[in-house]
Amino acid sequence: MSGMVTTPARHIAWHLILAICAVVVLVPVVWTVAAGFRTQISLLMGEMAFKPVLSNFAEVLFSKTSDFLINYRNSLLIGTCSTVLCVSIATLGAWSLHRMRWRAWVVNSFLGWTLIFNMMPPVALASAWYTMTRSVGLDNSFLALILAHTTLNLPMAIWLMSVFVRDVPRELEEAALMDGANTPVLLRYVVLPIIAPGLAATSVLTFIFSWNEFAVALTLSTKQSATVPVAIAKFAQDFEIQYTQMAASAALSILPALVLLLVAQRYIVAGLTQGAVK
Amino acid sequence: MNQIRINRRQAIAGIGATALASTIRPVWAQSVAPITIVINQSPWFDSFSKTVQAYEAETGNKVELDVNPFAGSLEKQRNSVRAAAGTYDILIMNSGWFAEMYFGGFVTAISDIDPGFQLDPDLFTLANSIYFDPASKTMAPSGKLMSMPIQPNLPMLYYRGDLYKEKGLKVVETFDDLFNNAKALNSPPDVYGIVQRGARGAYTVSYDFFPYLFGMGGGIYKDPVAGDYSLTLNNDVGREALDYYIRLAKDAGHPKTAAMDQAEVIQALVTGHAAHASVVIAAWSQMDDPEKSIVVDKMEFAPTPHAPGLPPGPALGHWLGGISHNVPDERKRAAVEFFRWFQRPEAQMVNAKAGGIPLNAAVYNDPMTEERQFRWMKPLAAALPHAVNPFAFPEASEVISVLELGLNRSIAGEISSVDALNSMSDEIEAIMAKHAYKTGKGAPLG
Amino acid sequence: MNAKLDRTAARTADRNASPGSDTLWKWLTFSPAFAFMLLFSALPLINLVATSFQNVTWTGGQADHSAAGLSHYLALPADVLFRAGLVNTIIFAFVAVGGQAVLGLALALFTTKVTRGRTIYRAIFILPILIPGIVIGAIWKLMLNFDFGLVNKLLGAIAIAPHDWLGGSDTALLSVIAVDIWHWTPFCFLLFLAGLESLPQDVFEAANMDGANAWQEFIYVTLPLMIPTIVVTCAFRLVLAFKVFDEVYLLTGGGPGTSTEVISFTLYQRFFTEDQLGYGSAMSVAVIFIVSLLLVFAISAGRRFEGAAK
Repeated sequence: MSGMVTTPARHIAWHLILAICAVVVLVPVVWTVAAGFRTQISLLMGEMAFKPVLSNFAEVLFSKTSDFLINYRNSLLIGTCSTVLCVSIATLGAWSLHRMRWRAWVVNSFLGWTLIFNMMPPVALASAWYTMTRSVGLDNSFLALILAHTTLNLPMAIWLMSVFVRDVPRELEEAALMDGANTPVLLRYVVLPIIAPGLAATSVLTFIFSWNEFAVALTLSTKQSATVPVAIAKFAQDFEIQYTQMAASAALSILPALVLLLVAQRYIVAGLTQGAVK
Repeated sequence: MNQIRINRRQAIAGIGATALASTIRPVWAQSVAPITIVINQSPWFDSFSKTVQAYEAETGNKVELDVNPFAGSLEKQRNSVRAAAGTYDILIMNSGWFAEMYFGGFVTAISDIDPGFQLDPDLFTLANSIYFDPASKTMAPSGKLMSMPIQPNLPMLYYRGDLYKEKGLKVVETFDDLFNNAKALNSPPDVYGIVQRGARGAYTVSYDFFPYLFGMGGGIYKDPVAGDYSLTLNNDVGREALDYYIRLAKDAGHPKTAAMDQAEVIQALVTGHAAHASVVIAAWSQMDDPEKSIVVDKMEFAPTPHAPGLPPGPALGHWLGGISHNVPDERKRAAVEFFRWFQRPEAQMVNAKAGGIPLNAAVYNDPMTEERQFRWMKPLAAALPHAVNPFAFPEASEVISVLELGLNRSIAGEISSVDALNSMSDEIEAIMAKHAYKTGKGAPLG
Repeated sequence: MNAKLDRTAARTADRNASPGSDTLWKWLTFSPAFAFMLLFSALPLINLVATSFQNVTWTGGQADHSAAGLSHYLALPADVLFRAGLVNTIIFAFVAVGGQAVLGLALALFTTKVTRGRTIYRAIFILPILIPGIVIGAIWKLMLNFDFGLVNKLLGAIAIAPHDWLGGSDTALLSVIAVDIWHWTPFCFLLFLAGLESLPQDVFEAANMDGANAWQEFIYVTLPLMIPTIVVTCAFRLVLAFKVFDEVYLLTGGGPGTSTEVISFTLYQRFFTEDQLGYGSAMSVAVIFIVSLLLVFAISAGRRFEGAAK
């Protein structure tokens, strides 16, 4: 990142600044998670010290009207499938657009189209997709949700991978081609290792967006296929918000996403940089 | 007849509905197709769910409940009724959108599915909002029976009984009573005499304002039941009501009333910072829950105040059950069977005991209402016959949007009450005219 | 400039590639993306534009489409909520995205300066975007509460008077922007970090040998190389900022007055709540058009900066 040598004093300085920023970022998150362990009245009174209770988590996970564990499973399924699908399609598409001699108008109009699609209000999109899926009988299926999330995140994924794909040095590409590599080999052993960090970041973001997506998930799902955001939204009711239960469900919702991302990011990068041709 | 009724009620309460199913199978309950009800998650959902379970146990008919977040209920219902074939058989419609369903022909009248359907005589008809005449497009008993009341939500005056006892105050009847009591109990910042809503939202400040407007004998329109939507908002009664609302906030209310919404009003109540508040009755259970409130057992309830000689005018925020138009006939008939069971006093007793709000007046005469935890029932029963349905037409949300902005700005002091009322009236008249209703402007306030 | 290089490089590669297979792969790699966009986005977009020229009413359970010409578009400037929404959203979008980009870049740069603990910092700084928007709105609403909120309590601890952050029309929009910056800086952070980690080392070594200090290195080496990442990140953040809904809905509901009315509210109100499908579609198309203009402006400005730096 930098050719500069960092002295120990400099190191401590950077750590200090980062630590302060980390605290500012963390305080609301910790407060949210802590709220899951409080009674509603304790939260509303704004007490600083409180006696922790587990009733909110019990309510969220085990009450008769809650399907939280099912929603979890659904979100994981839809999240991973749509992320894998979306990022693969986007990477291939980005490579194709920028390195495979398409005419400029094709590249620009396609990218522009994806961007315009991205600007569509979710409310209008959700109802249009509902009509489409219902007419083929797919309205409450996982397939519909996976395809929907893939499409929703495709514009961002394609644009982001476009940036990272452009960083692949042409000399490497030419060298590999001169060695007789065809496109699949080129992609797997030359391109992928170089764009690995970018791919990881894009995957992480795509997964997060899918995990937190509400409008389309609500419209295209029913009880059995509902996702975590739909479950969390149930706590915002017509005249009250059940804050502590919402906080508990949010705390539960962050956990797998965080673990998945930390683990996955390392493995994506490590796995892709294997066999890099340097 | 009464004797038999009491015995049955005691039997249900004592033995439990499940056991009952194995001993009695009432003649009127037929075995019908399974149905799906779409409903929103809410504090009263539990009681509805238990009532449905009692229905299933008693009749052996299957009912599936699809529970959705409130923000999204309308969308799901619209998608279902606008498709070629509906997913849901019974729609639990909020007061905000049932008119849209009636006018658009999206729900089939109960009286069309079963011409012999008799409404229980003790059932609250909720300002006749369950009736609709497609020809004249009005909601009057002469029309068809469109839907079944599911939840009679309306605002009540919540007040601190313990503080009343301390200061020797009497229950509020008129607006002057409210003003005096609120002033007497106002000791900011510990306790505000009253906390009102003033924030602009989907249906926030205007909902709080309506009991004041209607309770003083005012209204937005001249004669909506007859279809005359001429504006009467900006007349003297309207001005009196708005000025009173603002004066109450200034002299006995919260300094940030213009920013208060439902969540914050309830927060003020449960944390003991409000002596009065006008809140929907469905929030009663929070007051006595030790995990949600520090004023357990201290809150009392009364109908919203009224001008001397006039009835109170609480505005309905209720839920009705309608039958989808685009589902097979056998499911429509099954839905009617459910309604037939649901409206009976016995079923409403199950509803009430599970923590819900009963719809049958017979329940309110039961000795159960004497119990401390049900102390809100008698005042509610007194208020229900006077419930007002402010909007009997589908374009209500456009009008509400105007009211929210205008009221919020006048409470915040950005514009005077006269200017607010005049501009709101003009805008509402334009909306009604745009949608071809019979309307007209009142003379502008001086 | 780039296009020319592309063509030259491509021609060189072409000479060495086997004939025929290149075209096959060219289409194979592009068609999945193209198919998805065609299947799932074409119909809704066309439907949106078509509806914007119609009036849609419902009777007897059926839809009734009647032509409305340009009337919906012409009605837009008179809509007080639309005007307020547009102005507020443009302010919100640019200030919030600007703030996130600067903070995100700063955080990413600082994180690259340390070797140990990078994973931990990365995890911490990602956290805010893992939380769903609806929770962010609800929780921050409580924290910014006048009587009981954490923010006022903390300020009170350092002897600053409590302030009605969300209720005062002077601070409401700023508070919403602050919440948004907290929520979305991780997005910029993550992408900038990935970008920084992919930068080629040789340019830095050259700069170091030329005796550049940290600041010069940043301005003349790092920044120009990061421009593509910055532009794309900001572009998407901008589009997302125009779609912001959940947080603002729960924080302020558009109030006080219209000071935090954002365009997605107005759209939701008109398109969905009031069920004005034709008018709402026209509004959506108008907003898409305006955002596109803003983006074209932003991207071309970025390209010019990139060209100048090179």
